[in-house]
Order: sequence, then structure tokens, then C-alpha cells
Amino acid sequence: MKAILVGFGFIGRRFTEAVYRKLDIINKIDKEFRLVGIGEIDGYAYNEKGLNLEKLSSIKKLSEYPKDFIKGKTSAELIENCDADLMVEATPTNIVNGEPGLIHIEKALASGMHVVTSNKGPMVVAFRKLTDLAKRKSLELKYEATVAGAIPVFSLVRDCLQGDRILKISGILNGTSNYILSRMYFEGTSFKMALREAQERGITEADPSYDIEGIDAACKVVILANALMDRNAQFKDVERTGVRRITPEAVSLAKEAGYVIKLIGTIDEALEVAPKLIPENHPLCVHGTLNALHLETDLAGEITIVGHGAGKETVSAMMNDMISVMKAHF
Amino acid sequence: MKLDLTLGLADRPGELVKALEPIAKNGGNIISVLHERGKRVGGVVPVSLVADFPTSESFERTIKELEAMGVSIIKSEEIIEKSHITCILIGMIDMGKVSRIEDARIINFEVLTPASKEACIKLNIEAPIQAVNKILRKLKEIAKEEKAILIPSV
Repeated sequence: MKAILVGFGFIGRRFTEAVYRKLDIINKIDKEFRLVGIGEIDGYAYNEKGLNLEKLSSIKKLSEYPKDFIKGKTSAELIENCDADLMVEATPTNIVNGEPGLIHIEKALASGMHVVTSNKGPMVVAFRKLTDLAKRKSLELKYEATVAGAIPVFSLVRDCLQGDRILKISGILNGTSNYILSRMYFEGTSFKMALREAQERGITEADPSYDIEGIDAACKVVILANALMDRNAQFKDVERTGVRRITPEAVSLAKEAGYVIKLIGTIDEALEVAPKLIPENHPLCVHGTLNALHLETDLAGEITIVGHGAGKETVSAMMNDMISVMKAHF
Repeated sequence: MKLDLTLGLADRPGELVKALEPIAKNGGNIISVLHERGKRVGGVVPVSLVADFPTSESFERTIKELEAMGVSIIKSEEIIEKSHITCILIGMIDMGKVSRIEDARIINFEVLTPASKEACIKLNIEAPIQAVNKILRKLKEIAKEEKAILIPSV
């Protein structure tokens, strides 16, 4: 199998490193596997015989890759001109119009490539359009990494709950806001102070409103609703309240009553992201940057899964998606 | 609707089985039965039972059929199951509006003097289970009107 990667930022670089580290596993499934191209904003690197994974793991910018880097070429051109079987899309999320990820995924599917994406934007903006396109072309479109990072929620439902109907999903879907609320709970700090700490640790976006106003969590609610509960949800359907106005007094009153304030995404009759009081012993009550998802199903009852929702662990989901495609098609 | 019933049955073999028939026929789910032979008075044995009926009409039909059979209804009370709602409100809230929410009984509330501009109130409300969602919707409406944040328990 020949794969290309679009986006050589934090996640893209980590994915390349993981492919290099896990070549033994990948080659057991397909010893011909090659990563033949990588696209970035300032150009792309392409070599039909396969890029040098060791070299890729040692560089920070794609333009530092020797010989095969062509400056000024776009990722869309890479997708159109390469002869690959699978594209991994790891460009930054844009929830306004899904671009540039949306055009990348459309072009890849149109060119007959399977797609693995960690980019929420296209899946929020055009979930049905993309999944229908993949189905029509008999291609795989996998997006495990778009929700709750390394937590395998889509795989769990697809492979292990095939006879179940999902009745309700609730979860902590944003690690940054969970970190802030955890600091307020354990240290009694103000929201501002906890936010500053999160920024110093580099776990917020440059504009933190994406995390603390519940925008990121709302994107995940849309994807979960569409993927697991057969809805046709859009971002505007999610009722959203962020955590910016949570005060130390509120955290303290909750604590005295045996509760912890968490930003919870909920999908039942309505779609919502809002702060909720979670009992201290509830399985959703996880702290720090952890994410958690609580599923209520008609056969299995309640299931909770917990794990890392962002950061380097996300590549686990991308790798599993890629290996699943390889096992099914190569 | 769940009911706490006490029936007066003649102290004869088979009377209890006969009395349970109209309940089952009308869709009543019997949760418990207590045959109180020790409290027999004048040949009548009180039987206490808790039963869940699908509708008030099905319950009323059952009572009529029992009375037609000669069974006396000593007690018939609806059991209202209560639930407790804990929530926190951040912002300036008119507590009068909260206290006027139908079916909601405020058990207690606690206000913390805020270091910031935002007031913070913890509320404990008792309400019939069936009314919980309605009350939460109303609290949310009030919070929206007052530009406050409602944080309900899950």
C-alpha cells in the first residue's frame, strides 16, 4: 500500500514517527507499505519509492527534507498527481468551512484513495456528504482521531456493539477545559489563573475560546451524533455554554455537596455542551486533561471509556484506522 | 401511577386470588402484597398492596370491578415518588421566580459571597420524578432570562 500524509504539524510529525517505530507491525500486514508523499502549506515531498521515515522523524519542517521537497506546490496537487491508495489528513481544524481538509478529503476519495483523518473540520461541516461519497466509491473514510483522541469510541461501537442501539452519549470531550476545571477543583484557583497555567503548559490554542467556550466539544458532539446515532446534526444544533464564568465559589459549593463541575457534551433528544455537576464517584469524573465517554445502549447498558483526548496519543487512533484499512483491503 | 391500596377481603379460601384478577386484567403491575391475617376484624382480612397502573382510567376501572365483587376499599392513595435536584446557579437570580416553579419544593439553598461580581447559589429541590425534566427546563429558562448559568447535576 502506498500512503500519503497531508499536514506535517504536531500530529502529522508524530504520525510519521509512529509509522517509523511501528514498521514491523505494518510490514507484517503489507511488506510493500510505503509513505510516498507528504503535503504541507509551503510545498510537498514526494517519492514513489517511499520517503525516508528515519529522516522524516528527525526534521521539524517538511522543507528540511532533502531532494524530494518541491517548494510552492500544494497538497491538493499532491493528492491529484500521486498514485497512492490511502491519504492521512492531519491539517488544522477549521469549523467554519472545513477547509483545507474538506477539499483534500473530497479529492482523495474522488481519486480512489481511502482516507484516515484526524481533522474534525470536514467531519463537522460535511459528515453526510463525505461518508456518502466514500460509500459510493466503496472506499473507507475513517475518523477515529477526530473525537476524544486516542479513545477508540467509533471502533468500540462499530466492532463490539454491533447489535446495540445507542440511546445516549455524554462525555468530557475537551482536555483543556477539563484541566482548568480540575485545577479549580483541587487547588481552589480562579478560572483566570487555571487558564494561564494551561496556556503556560501549551495545552490551549492561541485563542483559548475554542476550548473554554465549548466549541471544540460541540464539534465532537456533532460527529458522535452523526456517526453513532444516525442524526443529521450540524454545529448550530448544539446548545453551548462554556466554562469561562465558572467561579471558585461554584466549584467550592459543588465540592461540599459531593460534586465536581465538568464540561459535558450530551447527545440524547437534544445536543448540548454545558457545565454539569458530576458526582465524585461517577465514572465520568476524570481529571486533568483526560477525556471520558459514557454510552447508554439498549443491550449493554452503560459503558464508560477513558483516555487521552488530544496530543501525541492521538496518533494511536490514526494508526489503528490505517491498519484497519490495510487489513481489509491489502 | 403507583398506588398504595388496602382491600378488605372476606376470610375465605380463594378470595385473594379473585381480588387480584381485576388488577391484572386492567394492566396493573403488583409490586407487593401483604395479607394481614392478624388484623382480621369481623370476618374481613385487610390486604395491603402496592400496584402500578398504566393510567388513572385503568385504576378506576379496577376499583369499580373490585367493588362490584363485594371487595371493600379500605385505603387508596397515590404514591408520588420524589426526586432531589441539586444545581448551582452563577449570576444574579430572582429567587422568587425559582420558588414559583410548579411542583418544585426548595429544600434548601446556599449562597456564597462572591469574590467576583458573580453571585453563586446552590439549590436543592424536591420534586415528583415525572416533573424533574420540566423543572430543569424551567430553571434553564429562568437562568437565560437572568443571564445566569445553570449547572444541573447529571
